[in-house]
Amino acid sequence: MHRPLKPRWPALAAIAVLISACGGDAPPQETLNPGTADGLEDARQRTGRKIFYSIPSPMETAALLKRAGAAYDHGLPNDVKNVDRYTVASKQALNLGVYGADLSYASVFNQTQESMFYTSCSKRLAESLGVTDVFNEATLERMERHVNDRDSLLNIVSSTYWDVDAYLKENGRENISALMFIGGWVEGLYIATQVAAAKPSAELRQRVADQKYALEDLIDLVGTYPDDPTLVGPLADLRALADLFADVGGPAGGEATQENGVTVVGAGAPAADLTDEQLLAIRDKVAQVRNDYIN
Amino acid sequence: MTQRRHTLVGTAMAAVFLVLSIGAQAQCRSFAKNKCVPGLAPYKFNESFNGAQLAPGEEAEVQLTFLAGQEYRVMVCVHPILGEVNWKLVDADNKVVFESLADEPKTHFDLKAAGTTRMKVVVWVPERPKTDMVHVGCVAILTGFKE
Repeated sequence: MHRPLKPRWPALAAIAVLISACGGDAPPQETLNPGTADGLEDARQRTGRKIFYSIPSPMETAALLKRAGAAYDHGLPNDVKNVDRYTVASKQALNLGVYGADLSYASVFNQTQESMFYTSCSKRLAESLGVTDVFNEATLERMERHVNDRDSLLNIVSSTYWDVDAYLKENGRENISALMFIGGWVEGLYIATQVAAAKPSAELRQRVADQKYALEDLIDLVGTYPDDPTLVGPLADLRALADLFADVGGPAGGEATQENGVTVVGAGAPAADLTDEQLLAIRDKVAQVRNDYIN
Repeated sequence: MTQRRHTLVGTAMAAVFLVLSIGAQAQCRSFAKNKCVPGLAPYKFNESFNGAQLAPGEEAEVQLTFLAGQEYRVMVCVHPILGEVNWKLVDADNKVVFESLADEPKTHFDLKAAGTTRMKVVVWVPERPKTDMVHVGCVAILTGFKE
């Protein structure tokens, strides 16, 4: 049954203020050289085997935090006022990822008002990066229409970021796309470590420890652009974090088993052995990296 | 003069090839988004797109992480022009956890991770009888998770 749409004036007013705060002329642009994916893809094609690199999912991380009993912390996401600080393309790309992760975090925890704020900031940064066809007024209107339907909202967020990534890749700007993924993953880890350190539990520790593998995948992905100067710094940040994850327990092995007709993998795995010291070291390092990105 | 013409022709052909490959990749994403992602339901798409145009005889692989306590659907979605493909899920010890062969194809495999596990999906397109026409088609490897 369809319910009539009710006007949400407070929400609209707040969004208008935010959009206006996130509005204005586009700042001057730093030019980023297009990525070198064409050569890489050629090399892959010559071998007849194509290797794909998984990208981390801030939405899955946020969903896991919620399932682990974490509460939403309004103080963790990046301040929406910061959006005006990002005047160079590399910062815009990193923070498009940061606000995207904040948007996933807010949406998963049903923080509809904040979801719209982070959408506005994401839209602003996407526009500054020239991705105007994807993140536009129609996207905002579609989100506003579904603001109280969490699943629809999550689908729109997911679909919009898919389209932004596609647009960037199809326009030879894979390095911008990679920066966006780095920003998103760093923000997701920042939130996870802050939550886990504030409210220690075995499950939250596990979720932080699990990020070791997302980090490995991300380093592999970024490593496919070895000549891109804009990715040198962020890749060094990721490697510094990887050093801190080096001694965190490895993934489970063991036989796959059947349980009520469902295949179960990783049975008998030990709990993640992330120590207090490791957790705090990772928390502090990622906070420092994230601070560099958002300021 | 002739050499210059050859260079120009070569450059033009490279540009055309680049435009065609970008167009094909865009079509592949569009195909995956519209035709494949809905098949993940009731699992939620994890936002990681792994897809490319493959030809008979080619392979693709991706490393996936399955997090402890989560339920997942792994889907291999193939454009009909390519026909059926083979795919398998192998664990860190190279043991085959699941396999789908072209003569009895399955589009997806559901699993539960008791502990965090890394596995690799390998897709390979069977060779076809030699014809003048080489069919190249999109293959997408997608993962969904249950909230």
